Amino acid sequence: MKTQLRVVAQTQLRLVALAVFVGLGATPASFAQGFKPTRPVEVVVHTGPGGGSDVLARAVAVMIEKENLLPVRLQVVNKTGGGGAVAAAYRAEKKGDQNTIGFFTGVWLTNPLMSAEAKVSLRDLTPIVRLLLEPAVIAVKADAPYKTLADFIDAAKKNPGQLKQSGGSVTSRDNVVRQLLQQNSGARWVYISFPGGGERIAALLGGHVNIMVIEPAEAGEHIRAGNLRVLAQVSEKRLSGFPNVPTLKEAGFDVPNVPQVRGVVAPPGIPRENVQYWEGVFRRLSQTASWKKYIADNQFEDGYQTSADLVKFYDEFTDRMRGIMKEAGIKVVR
Amino acid sequence: MEIITGLYDGLAIALQPANLFWCFAGVVLGTLVGIMPGLGPPATIAMLLPLTFAMSPASAMIMLAGIYYGAKYGGSTTSILLNVPGESASVVTCLDGYQMARKGRAGAALGIAAIASFVAGTVGVLGLMLVAPPLAKFALAFSSPEYFALMALGLAMVVLLAGSSMLKALLATLVGLWIAGVGTDLFSATSRFTFGRMELLSGIDFIVVAIGIFALGEVLANMETPQQAQMVPVPKGLRNLLPTLRDLKDCRFAFVNGSVIGFLVGVLPGAGSTIASFLSYGVEKAVSRRRDQFGTGVPEGVAAPEGANNSETGGALVPLLTLGIPGSGTTAILLAALVLWGFKPGPLFIPENPALFWGLVASMYIGNVMLLVLNLPLVPVFAQVLRLPAYVLFPLILGVSMIGVYSVSGSLFDLALLLGFGLLGYLMRKLDYPSAPLILGLVLGGAMERALRQSLMMSEGSLAIFAARPMPAVMLSLAVLILLVPLFGKFNAWRLRALEQKGG
Repeated sequence: MKTQLRVVAQTQLRLVALAVFVGLGATPASFAQGFKPTRPVEVVVHTGPGGGSDVLARAVAVMIEKENLLPVRLQVVNKTGGGGAVAAAYRAEKKGDQNTIGFFTGVWLTNPLMSAEAKVSLRDLTPIVRLLLEPAVIAVKADAPYKTLADFIDAAKKNPGQLKQSGGSVTSRDNVVRQLLQQNSGARWVYISFPGGGERIAALLGGHVNIMVIEPAEAGEHIRAGNLRVLAQVSEKRLSGFPNVPTLKEAGFDVPNVPQVRGVVAPPGIPRENVQYWEGVFRRLSQTASWKKYIADNQFEDGYQTSADLVKFYDEFTDRMRGIMKEAGIKVVR
Repeated sequence: MEIITGLYDGLAIALQPANLFWCFAGVVLGTLVGIMPGLGPPATIAMLLPLTFAMSPASAMIMLAGIYYGAKYGGSTTSILLNVPGESASVVTCLDGYQMARKGRAGAALGIAAIASFVAGTVGVLGLMLVAPPLAKFALAFSSPEYFALMALGLAMVVLLAGSSMLKALLATLVGLWIAGVGTDLFSATSRFTFGRMELLSGIDFIVVAIGIFALGEVLANMETPQQAQMVPVPKGLRNLLPTLRDLKDCRFAFVNGSVIGFLVGVLPGAGSTIASFLSYGVEKAVSRRRDQFGTGVPEGVAAPEGANNSETGGALVPLLTLGIPGSGTTAILLAALVLWGFKPGPLFIPENPALFWGLVASMYIGNVMLLVLNLPLVPVFAQVLRLPAYVLFPLILGVSMIGVYSVSGSLFDLALLLGFGLLGYLMRKLDYPSAPLILGLVLGGAMERALRQSLMMSEGSLAIFAARPMPAVMLSLAVLILLVPLFGKFNAWRLRALEQKGG
């Protein structure tokens, strides 16, 4: 009885899908294939409620529901621990499971480089898509003497090791940007890690540190209130919210762009047609008005990339990070 | 004047029937979440987030905040009845709350917890309403050296939590500090004491240790001796199940202490309610005239930490609403909710959305009254749990503990850790090691180490940074004074003995 019902439901869904397909006149390859999730899909994130991946996954779940892109619901599951290692391992354990996906960040690639315990890399999982890139801006307090990034770098050169930057773990993007700028300019300044985003910005606003690499949306309100000034932006091209702030290259520092990357993976051993199906879902998501508004509100960059491109991105990213970490004196185990 | 009109407008929003309903729904849900160990407000709020898109932002904010402070009311219930801390901030409540229950005063303990929560919760909202902007400046002035001094002050309180032997208390503290060191080091990305286990990379969850040592250790120790059918006396009659006037009088200072410390610590983004509850318990014990009776079931030992835990909510909302800075998991998800609703939390949030802010403040006064009215009648009901015979109660405690731990991480590894710490708790009881110092070391260890290393990075390695800044200098001097207290006691005893010998 139950199976029968499911078959009926599936047939109906296929009809709906067919109708959408014909109606839009599009050619999503996935619709020709058989795969469709039949029960709620588990979305694994490596942060607790309120963390970056968690917030993104919940926002995506809401948008997918609103735009009717999926016949089932997305359920966010938090597998915290090991800076992503626990969530990655959980993904790998679910080999062949078709009702589960996960959201990854660059940490899933860098963490295995430094922690011998983090055995599962993104490369062991099935890539689906890269969703977005999170640019950053470099900010100082509004009453600081530095008007440009060059001012700060010059000051750091004159007083080696005396200026301070607040940020996350040494493996985070904040520190990578510092390493690249130090290599490029020869200046030296101190990097102080704070576990919480709140503490980082409090240290800057309180004048306990001099500079910070910060998310644009977070900085935006403090700039509007006159507390912070932005010296440069870590992005390929100028963000809409910061039309008058130079990118690192424009500010005279030719360093590689290091955005925070976020995307979707599935467990290993997933059929090709499933990958195509999910690619289709997220491609259509990235074309909706809700998604575009979400990207604009948060000052993100759309980073849509298909499964095949994502694998190439992995290698480039991992190699670059390995080099930067070694340069920074961090022990690399892989 | 501005405050009066603001509050008036806020009441107009909070008293709308729909908002009253959402406030009630939030505090009821919060109470339930608080009672169940494990599932905390951040996970609950995250799950309910999609639901809030159909609501007005004011209603949604009122409900989510209700879950936040409602959970803090419920957190003490299992601490008092079962010695199972419902959330990390309720660990201290176990110390005297559970002892009160063992003496047949569970009802009084639950009642005191509810009243302390109400008083301090209200003071917290009052603080949020009156002094939020100036306190935001205080929060920013507080940085790593200040945090280190605050944690050192907290750790000095170990001499107050020590039982018969100072040596054993210090050893237990060191074990706590060691457990806090497990995991990936933030500053060098090196893993410490992980024994090749990926599950240990992010450290050991504090609640696993606390539930293991307190709840499981207690059950194991009790199972040694054959139990009578009912292990704890539960007095008959409603009157004997509520706190007496004398209890309330004993708690006078604890209400004030808990309210003030909880609020001030709450304002700091790097501290949190667990530290607030420990600090206020320590202060309460330090100034008490019956210091030696703490840990045997005194009502002020429940009132101070429970109060601090609740007024912390008002404090934690200060940096969130005035600066857009979250200090904890719950405030982080509230921040995410505000962004998803289309607001821009930051320094301009309150001036640009006065209706939302004042509606929230007004609803929090109402919600605290609702919680008191809701929780006091529940006290006699909950106290009946202890009527259960031991052969039901012990498996119940084990079950609640395991579900609690599993629901936090969903990891079997953590369940194994829980059993390990249960065994440790049992051994510590057998060998007469106090468990509170271990928990204190664990709570403060991680943050204290980070603050010390951050401070030294700020000062380029010079310890003078702690003497040069006024707040750390004062707090560290206080810490040294507290550490000297037992030495004075010893010296005094020695002097008296010497005098006696001379006289005799």
